[in-house]
Amino acid sequence: MNFRLLKSIVILGLAAAFNLHSMSSHAEVVVVLNSGEGTVSLIDKTTMVETKRFPVGKEPHHLMATPDDRFLIVANATSNELVFLDPLTGEVKRRVDKISDPYQIGFSPDKKWFVSVSLRLDRIDIYNGADFSLIKRLLAPKAPSHVGFNGDSSLAFITLQDSNELAAFDLNTQSLKWKMPVGKMPAGVWLTPDDKYALIGMTGEDYVQVIDWRTQKTVKKITTGKGAHNFLPMGDGNRLLVSNRVSNTVNIIDQSTLAVIDTIDVPGGPDCMELTKDGKQLWVTSRWIKKVTIVDMVTKKIVKQIPVGKSPHGIYFASHAARK
Amino acid sequence: MFDALTSFVTEQFAALHGHVFETGVLPVLHELGLGGYAEQAFDGTEFFLIGAIEVTMLAVVFGLLEKWYPAEVQSDDGAKRVDVIYTMLHRLGFIPLLMFLLLAPVVDKLDGALRMHDIIPWKLEDALPFLNDSPWLSFFFYLVILDFVAYWLHRAQHQINLWWALHSLHHSQRQMSFWSDDRNHLLDDFVMDGAFALVALLIGVAPAQFVTIVIATRVIESLSHANLKVSFGRIGEYLLVSPRFHRFHHGIGVGHEGVTRGVNFAVLFPIWDVLFRTANFENNYPPTGIRDQLDGKEYGRGFWAQQWLGLQRLVHVFLP
Repeated sequence: MNFRLLKSIVILGLAAAFNLHSMSSHAEVVVVLNSGEGTVSLIDKTTMVETKRFPVGKEPHHLMATPDDRFLIVANATSNELVFLDPLTGEVKRRVDKISDPYQIGFSPDKKWFVSVSLRLDRIDIYNGADFSLIKRLLAPKAPSHVGFNGDSSLAFITLQDSNELAAFDLNTQSLKWKMPVGKMPAGVWLTPDDKYALIGMTGEDYVQVIDWRTQKTVKKITTGKGAHNFLPMGDGNRLLVSNRVSNTVNIIDQSTLAVIDTIDVPGGPDCMELTKDGKQLWVTSRWIKKVTIVDMVTKKIVKQIPVGKSPHGIYFASHAARK
Repeated sequence: MFDALTSFVTEQFAALHGHVFETGVLPVLHELGLGGYAEQAFDGTEFFLIGAIEVTMLAVVFGLLEKWYPAEVQSDDGAKRVDVIYTMLHRLGFIPLLMFLLLAPVVDKLDGALRMHDIIPWKLEDALPFLNDSPWLSFFFYLVILDFVAYWLHRAQHQINLWWALHSLHHSQRQMSFWSDDRNHLLDDFVMDGAFALVALLIGVAPAQFVTIVIATRVIESLSHANLKVSFGRIGEYLLVSPRFHRFHHGIGVGHEGVTRGVNFAVLFPIWDVLFRTANFENNYPPTGIRDQLDGKEYGRGFWAQQWLGLQRLVHVFLP
């Protein structure tokens, strides 16, 4: 046996392993759900290159971190399951089945409730936020789409896409509290930091409807772009991003004045968004062109478009701006 | 090299798909207040574009092959013209859209009612978890199951008089060509699609997966109907339905009109005919049609005549 050669191989192997380890601990991954082909794309956030694409289940639309940030939950609507990923590497850690048609998901602020919205089947499910056991399944016609919560976690606001309504469900009694008519095809729901207003993205219109949810009155319609859809806070407790899927723009809304303060062009049907912690880079899924679009938030110009799978929807990376 | 080519084609198609959808479809949907169907319309646009490309390629490739290696000399182009209409209506997505609009609400209602009784339909991956990690294997399993179902549904189309009253329209083409695959009565389509939708619900086939299976298999089905003197050889004939295998099924007096009402029912995999003793591997390319056509029975020449006569046959089964 040539021990010198063996020794060299072992040293080289250890060096390579160390190198790989140090690379993996530094390279941050961006997780993108390709809802139309049931895969997850992993993108190296630094090099902006897709490094891996793997099957995750049927129709993964939305994703979110667990309250302790230890896992990233992917909701596979047609597979009726949640898949837990490592938020840093994208590795599949476990699957929770018997979650009925989870299209959109959300934890209440007190982490007590996990609400899953079934768009196709007109249902919402309220689960125990700790162990995902079903507490109650409720009818929610027609086409419940997105979910938001009030500050004390007593209400879940659900947009009803096909009946053009906003519904509030009482989480403590697990029952419908009220419904009110809104504009065409309501989608994203966002509660202002003072917990006063619910902002609703009107995908069938060109505005965000501002609702005083305590009185169920519309106080304002903020004109954005056609197909106002989803929200993302910019982390400073005031500015809020809204994607407009038809006009191919993203607006910045000032929540203190409830007015649009900037507009950014993002082609290809901008949908879900993620913003870097320093607020300098916005990553957006461009639904209709199989790409993720990266925008420089200083120049408001596109930095790069990365090809991913069919119908990219949810997007996440760990070093994101605060959700406030 | 191959990866680069695949990636290039995929990206070009994605760009075309996105462009057509964003400039032609989405604005119209938005104006009509139908923005809620954007995702379905996005898939529908893809179905239409793939169909248009596919039909063009079929017309060129299979058209040339039929000229070079015909199973029979065909002179009546008029008889084929109606099959072209059926092909366009199906492959460009008009009839699938109609079927989707009719069936999806029913299936969703049924599925939704089950959920309220805490029943979540089973899926194949529950029994075979490794399918979660391999889309190709998963695709193959679902393909085999759906083809098995298609075999028995096809036998039922021939053995149940009510259903044969409709399905006979498909067999009435005496100038069978690659255009003939979609020549079906609309009610026949509805029953078949309804049966497949139920099976898809029972085994957990995702709608997107189902569409992929349909698109992937229909080229083979066009080939099996082509006017080609082609068999796949001693082993190949057992693996995939060939033009010879399926032409025999359409053969007057021999294929679908035997004592047990026929042979060679398989749609993709002849193994089902072998297993259930309905296979015939005779190297023969008979003329196609239905025996009573020789006695002058009329099945119609144009689309609406064929649909109307199909309904009349259906009524005659009830009221002989």
